[in-house]
Amino acid sequence: MAMTQLGELLRRRVVLVTGKGGVGKTTVAAALARAAATAGKRVLAAEIASDEAAPSPLAMALGAAASDEDPIDVAPGIRCVRISPSRGHRDFLREAMPMRFLADAAMRSDAIRQFLKAAPTFSEMGILYRILHLTRQRRFDGDVEHEIVIVDLPATGHALALTQLPEAILRLIPGGPIVTAVKDGLALVTDGEQTATVVVTLPEALPVSETLELAKKLERDRILVTAFVLNRAPTNLFGDAERAFLDTWLSGEAHVLGVRSLHRIDRAEKARSRLSASYPGMIFELPDLLDDETLAVRLSQTLARATAVAAEASA
Amino acid sequence: MTLRQSDYPTFLDALVRTKQVIVCAGAGGVGKTTTSAALGLAGAMAGRRVLVLTIDPARRLAEAMGIPESGRTPARVDRALLEVAGAPSIGELSAWMLDPAVVLEDMVRRWADSEEAAARILSNKVYVALSRLVAGMQEYTAAEALHSLVSTGDYDLVVLDTPPSRNAIAFLDGPGKLAGFLDERIIGLFLPGKGGALWKRATQLVSIVFGRAFGDGFFHDLQEFLGLFAGMFSRMREHATHVRTILQSQATAYVLVTSPEPAALAEVAFFREQIREKGLPFAGYVLNRSWAFTRGFKNPTGIPAPDNAPACAAEAARKLQVLAEEELVRAVRDRSLLERLRDRSGGAFATASPHLGEGIEDLRGLVDLARCLVLPSAARG
Repeated sequence: MAMTQLGELLRRRVVLVTGKGGVGKTTVAAALARAAATAGKRVLAAEIASDEAAPSPLAMALGAAASDEDPIDVAPGIRCVRISPSRGHRDFLREAMPMRFLADAAMRSDAIRQFLKAAPTFSEMGILYRILHLTRQRRFDGDVEHEIVIVDLPATGHALALTQLPEAILRLIPGGPIVTAVKDGLALVTDGEQTATVVVTLPEALPVSETLELAKKLERDRILVTAFVLNRAPTNLFGDAERAFLDTWLSGEAHVLGVRSLHRIDRAEKARSRLSASYPGMIFELPDLLDDETLAVRLSQTLARATAVAAEASA
Repeated sequence: MTLRQSDYPTFLDALVRTKQVIVCAGAGGVGKTTTSAALGLAGAMAGRRVLVLTIDPARRLAEAMGIPESGRTPARVDRALLEVAGAPSIGELSAWMLDPAVVLEDMVRRWADSEEAAARILSNKVYVALSRLVAGMQEYTAAEALHSLVSTGDYDLVVLDTPPSRNAIAFLDGPGKLAGFLDERIIGLFLPGKGGALWKRATQLVSIVFGRAFGDGFFHDLQEFLGLFAGMFSRMREHATHVRTILQSQATAYVLVTSPEPAALAEVAFFREQIREKGLPFAGYVLNRSWAFTRGFKNPTGIPAPDNAPACAAEAARKLQVLAEEELVRAVRDRSLLERLRDRSGGAFATASPHLGEGIEDLRGLVDLARCLVLPSAARG
């Protein structure tokens, strides 16, 4: 049976959403969560936070006030969770230590907690382990608790830090439970069947260049980009003849309202064709809509519609 | 329909003329690095010796300024280039896109007891991992670089572009991630030494946990690293304290950079709260990539249609008018956003920078932005 583009993306257990700051990653992660829930899945939307005081942009994009270290219901079919390195360390130590009380004592110790929080690569390790732990959680009936975990990674650097983790850890620590944990986590995120990696970018020259560079780096770490999202794409209203007329008509004018938007459309066209020429896979395009509390819902509808169009086109 | 403040210098004008340090903070992707560079340029154009210190590798900006992307020391921007770009600078402009690993290595070489000790630190596994660590290191090395730059007296003004992380400000104010890691009390737990029964039990717990979870080899490397590094900690703390004193004084100004997107605004509100809590000298906001500027722009309806217009002309003009209306809506939105930013912090300053399309392509673009930031009405003739 043919699968729609969106269905193809959402058949994975984990969706990592990454991209440079300011491109609307969180909104896209929220829209994907909405779309997955609409498709009938039990969704966990995860955001990464290093400290408790930080706001919860993903929870907010899904209409909730804040998220917590344990999953909470935020919308029909959607739960939201805040992933902190410390919680990952606790999960890990509880499994690695022979006695649970020792792990709890360790996490109660300020020194160890601080060390794990601050020491190189351990914070990424905690995040990776927490993601692994959340995908493994089961319900009483034995079925997985969350069918799909959508992770909003905070910045480009984080995705890379996660993927470069095994090398860093193995250089530092040759064996033991931590190596097993990291390898398990990595087996999950590098398996394209289980994990989808979505890179969000804007239809402008520089963001697309940076995105292609990121994709190359990820590939070096054995992570293949499953889909790109061109976010806030301007709609081109103009036919070729109309556009040609405008160019002649306005050629002598210095500053005209609307012309900056025309240039933006041109740049988007160029960026779009460059991305699709360099990358044969899935590209989702999302329109530039007014940003308010309904944005994620409206964009999830666009995602579903865009899929239908793509499916027709390929049929 | 014009911005009231555009005929007068903005609050940034006074900052670039008088302050010793300007810290730019905000979410990633809002044009913080470009804004920092433009503020530095404005300072140089006002006759000061300025250094722009940035941690984000920004290749295009480095190319535009004619400096290396990551050098061991600050690089001077060629005066001739500045003049060609329309900035007859009477001061100086330098920039440093610093590489945390380079700063850390310099520190080790400068402070280690001997060359041999330095070599041992530099080849230690934990050190190598630490120097490659991106998060946390950036903030720390920025503070360290800031310390040495302010101490030399080579610059009248240092513009610090903070890394796009939430603890960018928290770090500058107090012990951050790395400082926490390098805290002597924590290090003590890893090093064999004397102490009471309670201390011994704590040390024992640490060694059990690390031995079990991470392997004995790692524990040994960590002990070696901390032992070698221990002598440098007091110096690091001294510098951190000095930097903090400067950053809390009136010689410093904090500028929050944002774009009109709600996510960026939420981030900036978070920083504003941190600045308030810590009592740091806050100066105001820059609303970047804003559409607020419409002065000097014609409405398409005001342009007469040509005599030989094709059949599609009316439709094309109508569609252009749709875009023009959208731009006006954005302008109104951005202006009320500016008002809200001002109100929210009890009359703090806020200024907008224009939407520059693809961003800064060359030094001339940076000069335009610099002019616009300090005196909006001067930006367009």
